[in-house]
Amino acid sequence: MQAGRWLRLPALGAMVQAWPWALLVLLLLAVRLSKGAGFTDAYALLSRPFWPGSAQGEWVRSAQGLNDQTRLRQLDADNRRLRSLLGLQASGGRELAAAVISRQAGGWWQQLVIGRGELQGLRPGMAVTAPGGLIGRVASVTPTTASVTLLTDPGSRVGVWVGRVQRHGLLTGIGTSRPLLRFLEKDPGVRPGDVVVTSPASTLVPPNLTVGVIQSVDDRATPATEAVVQLSAPVEAVDWVQVRLP
Amino acid sequence: MSRLARHGWCVATALVVPWLVLAAPAPLKLAGIPPAWSVLWLLPWALADGPLSGALAGVGLGLLLDALHPGPITQIPVLALLGWWWGRLGRQGPPIERSFSLGLLALLGAALLGGSLILQSRLLGPWPLEPALHTWLAQTLLTALLAPLLCSLQLLLWRQQIQGGRG
Repeated sequence: MQAGRWLRLPALGAMVQAWPWALLVLLLLAVRLSKGAGFTDAYALLSRPFWPGSAQGEWVRSAQGLNDQTRLRQLDADNRRLRSLLGLQASGGRELAAAVISRQAGGWWQQLVIGRGELQGLRPGMAVTAPGGLIGRVASVTPTTASVTLLTDPGSRVGVWVGRVQRHGLLTGIGTSRPLLRFLEKDPGVRPGDVVVTSPASTLVPPNLTVGVIQSVDDRATPATEAVVQLSAPVEAVDWVQVRLP
Repeated sequence: MSRLARHGWCVATALVVPWLVLAAPAPLKLAGIPPAWSVLWLLPWALADGPLSGALAGVGLGLLLDALHPGPITQIPVLALLGWWWGRLGRQGPPIERSFSLGLLALLGAALLGGSLILQSRLLGPWPLEPALHTWLAQTLLTALLAPLLCSLQLLLWRQQIQGGRG
């Protein structure tokens, strides 16, 4: 008799009363099956004012920067040690800051005059960099000034390297703001966007200094492929440069 | 002896030319190219002081300017030639003082100077012609535009000095 009462269907009235609970259960099931869709979105919307702000972002970026700097120092030291073992030109060395006191980036000659000279240890041939990378080499020095031939000057020739395809080339100034990169072979496989650095085997400038980015490639050029390079250092805007001392 | 060279300060004004080349004032550029300051200084000097003085001033100015740039390319021959030519023009016929004449002479001078630089560069090695022509054209036009203003003022000043020296 007791068992028969349990097997009976619940009364219709009780089912009507319980429908909100059934709906809730269904909703919870939907949340479970959709892995929280809607629920986490609603949480995100409501908690947005309390999300980590710019200060936290700065901390993380600062920590990342510190980590990068440490790694860079470590790699630089390793690189210098290995290059000295191989007898190649050192990439490091002292840097001397110098103010740009004359800028002739257009016209027949493309050069800078900087406010440091022979008295500060500058010599012709030294590499000159700016924020962004290499901009040229010291052409001549006076006791207190130095003339820097820019990479864009028609007389400038620097050996460079495209790391992605591991190909050498000769960066030649042509009198415009974008020098020409002449490769040694016909099909080097470079494409726009490839980064150009100074050649690891260079004897004129320190190796692996950023020079610029390939902007366009001319595969039909003879005798070998040529590319136009956009320099990464803004020569027109820099007021201070760094001279790489040996 | 040059009549203008008797006044030391007149000769010293030539130092403004390398100073302007180094300073390269941005407002006085056309498409990033400065005018030929040497032409703008030499033209009134030679017109006022004669061919010999003009040629010597051209050589002196060329020596100064060549010292500022790397490489073997020189401006001395063309500046000496221009100084001589303008000096002869200044001695023959009525004095040249009209703006158009000054502008035309400056245009020819800047064109010759640029042409000689292009020629020397091409002789020394492969130098793309297109950027060189851009520089040549911009510099020639800008020099011709500035000449009527700057050269007429200098010409007036030099002639006053010469006449003052005579008196």
